[in-house]
Amino acid sequence: MSKIYTDEWYESVKDAINKSASTLKEVPKGKWILVIEIVGDGVSPYVDEGSERHFLVSIEDGKCMWYEEIELGKSLDVKLNYRFRGNAEVFDSIAAGTLDPIDAALGGDIKVKGDMRFLLRQADQVQTLLLAYTKNVETEWPLGKPPYVRKADS
Amino acid sequence: MLKEADVIIIGAGHNGLALGCYLQRSGLEVVILERRHEEGGGLTTEELTLPGFLHNVHANYHTFVDLSPPVGDLDLRGHGVKYVRPEVQMASIYEDGSALVVYEDIDKTVESISQFSKKDAETFKKLFTEAHGYVNLLLSTLMFEPPMSVKDLTKALSVFGVNKRSEFLSVKLRRETINDFLNEHFESDKVKAHLAFHGAICGYSNDKVGLAIGFPLLVGKINNWHLSVGGSHRLAHGLWRDFAFHGGVLITDAEVQGIVVDNKKAVGVRLSDGNEIVARKLVASTVSVEQTFLEFLNENEKNEILGNEFVEKVKNVKHQEYSLFSVHLAMKELPNYVASSFNPDVNRAWVVNLGYGSLGDLNNDWRLIKEGRLPTPHPNAAVNSLYDPTDAPEGFYTGLLRQFAPYEVKTGNNSNGGSAEWNVESRHYGESCIRTWNKFAPNVEDSIIEFATYSPHDITEKLPNMVKGDWMMGEITLENMLDVRPTPELGQYRTPIESLYMAGSTQHPHGFITFAPAYNALSIIAEDIGIESWWREV
Repeated sequence: MSKIYTDEWYESVKDAINKSASTLKEVPKGKWILVIEIVGDGVSPYVDEGSERHFLVSIEDGKCMWYEEIELGKSLDVKLNYRFRGNAEVFDSIAAGTLDPIDAALGGDIKVKGDMRFLLRQADQVQTLLLAYTKNVETEWPLGKPPYVRKADS
Repeated sequence: MLKEADVIIIGAGHNGLALGCYLQRSGLEVVILERRHEEGGGLTTEELTLPGFLHNVHANYHTFVDLSPPVGDLDLRGHGVKYVRPEVQMASIYEDGSALVVYEDIDKTVESISQFSKKDAETFKKLFTEAHGYVNLLLSTLMFEPPMSVKDLTKALSVFGVNKRSEFLSVKLRRETINDFLNEHFESDKVKAHLAFHGAICGYSNDKVGLAIGFPLLVGKINNWHLSVGGSHRLAHGLWRDFAFHGGVLITDAEVQGIVVDNKKAVGVRLSDGNEIVARKLVASTVSVEQTFLEFLNENEKNEILGNEFVEKVKNVKHQEYSLFSVHLAMKELPNYVASSFNPDVNRAWVVNLGYGSLGDLNNDWRLIKEGRLPTPHPNAAVNSLYDPTDAPEGFYTGLLRQFAPYEVKTGNNSNGGSAEWNVESRHYGESCIRTWNKFAPNVEDSIIEFATYSPHDITEKLPNMVKGDWMMGEITLENMLDVRPTPELGQYRTPIESLYMAGSTQHPHGFITFAPAYNALSIIAEDIGIESWWREV
């Protein structure tokens, strides 16, 4: 078990995705770079309110090749294929398995930019990879786990 | 006269202009040819009644303004384009004096619906919330991308389990009409009628099997109608300014007689004055498929390149079964509706549906229209001056009545029918539409200083690309949607002739001022000729 948003945790996510990818009959061939932008919302204790954490992820032939946290404002020397952006509570809840990522995207809680046609055409693969992320990573939550108790609720 | 350019675009409507702007900004030399005396196409604003009264002759309602990439990419606001989003967007006024009002604020809309049915108000709120959430996501997939097939789309919806996630979205909608959808989810006839009316002004008639699949998205944008300040033509002017600023050439009064084809490739355009312009890279047509393939190509090219099967498909492209009859009015008073005693906000509604009170009312009119008969008017009335006082002299107002109507009309028992019969019928039918308006707002007739009618026949006379008065430039049905619109061969904006592209409203998604056909054609052109996309930042 690894602590959320640590290098160890990302390595676990990467392993889980790759394990799932290996079970797929067909994987889309090609290389994609995506960025995940997690916005501090004052609810999640893992990203300060008003700040953001951005992660680059490289997917090649259905496998996660590498990931890295990037410095905000620094210009990227890679061409991005997808951008996923949402509040930290949303991403935390997905990682905790309490929020379905498809619901989050359909509901507009995660904004997606990039070639949506490709994602829809690869629906089987996308579904498998998302399941790996949400179900197959054991996560430690040192500052508390979603659903969070909001100040007004407490 | 200019002799050559990298790109020739036929038609200076909003799609032609937008495509021209993008390609010119990409470093190509672009010339746009326009048959009329000015740019704009459907973005036409004229003083049809009296000086100082600005009437939007075709496009009046603009949607997806903030979601359409060209609005930002081309800095249209920097070129003088201003939009207003009316606070009171729409209303339906019923025969009994009650009224349903759609506000920009959706909670107020829900409250208005609850006056007719609390259950429907709850259902509407759920539907709107759900649809509005996925409008942004699906829009980038379904509108501002070259289209995927219905099969791919339904498979994806199925894999992602949309049926289970959504109370409203379902694969079965492809077999249903909007009537079916409304009858399944809503109970009040009046609420159903308003939602169906909203679909109809979007070009989605409630009686067509398969159109239910797009209906939730229409509900998701029900409070997203915008008015172009100073008239719709201001938008065309903004596009032209951007195009000219970057060095593009627009030639008006330039009627295209033919596309020059050499070795199965489009290499230029021949004008009716005998001049020819060479296209070094490509020709893009934003006019109708009938003009592009049946008029602009010679018999030899049709036989040898297009082939008989394709030519027949073009000849049989279907057009909307209903067109629009308009009455443009110069007025000295705002309409004061009887229904304002039910809800005072109807007097501030930008667009008002006058009298459709049930799905049956709409169904009955579609039946008459298909027979070429004129329905008893149920016009919708828009007063742009409520939200744009610049469109009329101070203290006066412009009005617009729009009535669903046939292109070819039969005016009497001995009539053979035909669009030219509108020349006889227009004034009389216009007066009939005004009387209907007056029934709901009794001060209207006395407030009219002047009016001018504009029939489905006039639409095609002014803009021949709107074949048979079809402002959507192709029927909206499941069979003419996504990658098979207008034919499977043309569904990805390419044509059987190399370097000839289709980039107007004949293409996916359809008409309306979305710029999506041009934006999607741009993607294909960029891929084909190797333009680095500066406009699609991820």
